[in-house]
Amino acid sequence: MARTPTTSDPFSAIAEPKRRELIEAMVGKELTVSELVDITGWNQPMVSKHLNVLKQVELVSERKDGRFRVYSVNAEPLKPIQDWVIQFEHLWTNRMENLEGYLEKLQSTEVID
Amino acid sequence: MSNDATVKPSILSREFNAPKKLVFETWTQPEHLQHWMFPQKGFTCEYVRADIRVGGSAHHKMISPDGREMWQLTTYEEINPYDSLVFRQYNSNEAGEILAMPHMPNWPQELMTTVKLEEVDGKTHLELIWQPINPSSKEVEAFESSRSQHSNGWGSGFKQLAAYLKTL
Repeated sequence: MARTPTTSDPFSAIAEPKRRELIEAMVGKELTVSELVDITGWNQPMVSKHLNVLKQVELVSERKDGRFRVYSVNAEPLKPIQDWVIQFEHLWTNRMENLEGYLEKLQSTEVID
Repeated sequence: MSNDATVKPSILSREFNAPKKLVFETWTQPEHLQHWMFPQKGFTCEYVRADIRVGGSAHHKMISPDGREMWQLTTYEEINPYDSLVFRQYNSNEAGEILAMPHMPNWPQELMTTVKLEEVDGKTHLELIWQPINPSSKEVEAFESSRSQHSNGWGSGFKQLAAYLKTL
């Protein structure tokens, strides 16, 4: 496996599957590093490493709760990216479906003519 | 191709139950294109200008079901009836000026689309190839990221987040 690249924007940050997994685990929750270690089954340095990248691009917020630091997802920056990715994923697939339907129509009309 | 920042193209394949000549025409004639060159069902599409030849360009408008207008500019680089065509497509405005992706500053500025057609037993196999042109390393990163989104599908393993994003 290639090493984890350093990254400076949310879009690249979530390209790494482990960071997607981390985000997915944290949605709607506040969790400590040790809780994340339990959930993911990864070792603590790995959790911290990916957590740090997500913090840098502001996809994860950190809050102090007594002796602990708790982490939560700030998914707002992902919203436009998600909209865009959906568009990207579907753009040509949808156009191909449009074209398929159109070709069918075209050819059935030609037969009738 | 030997470039500092090379990137593998994204490829999409599809088979159409139609002869190659007809499929080719649906890609190169505005009266055909307006029936399908839009993002999804419910849109209407109009080619206000279509000079579809090598070195020429086409400008089309798409109107969403809720009345939002979107424009695209397509420039044509290769047209080989009825085998292939090569073009670049850009987000545009009504004046035909190229616009950047608002949320994606690092998305490749130049993306070349190649369409290849092959007819077998009256059916046409279409291959669509998406390739960034002279991308910067940032653009390669953005394109590669989108590819990983593409192959995994945003939805897979991202259900909670997708549901949550809908509420934002």
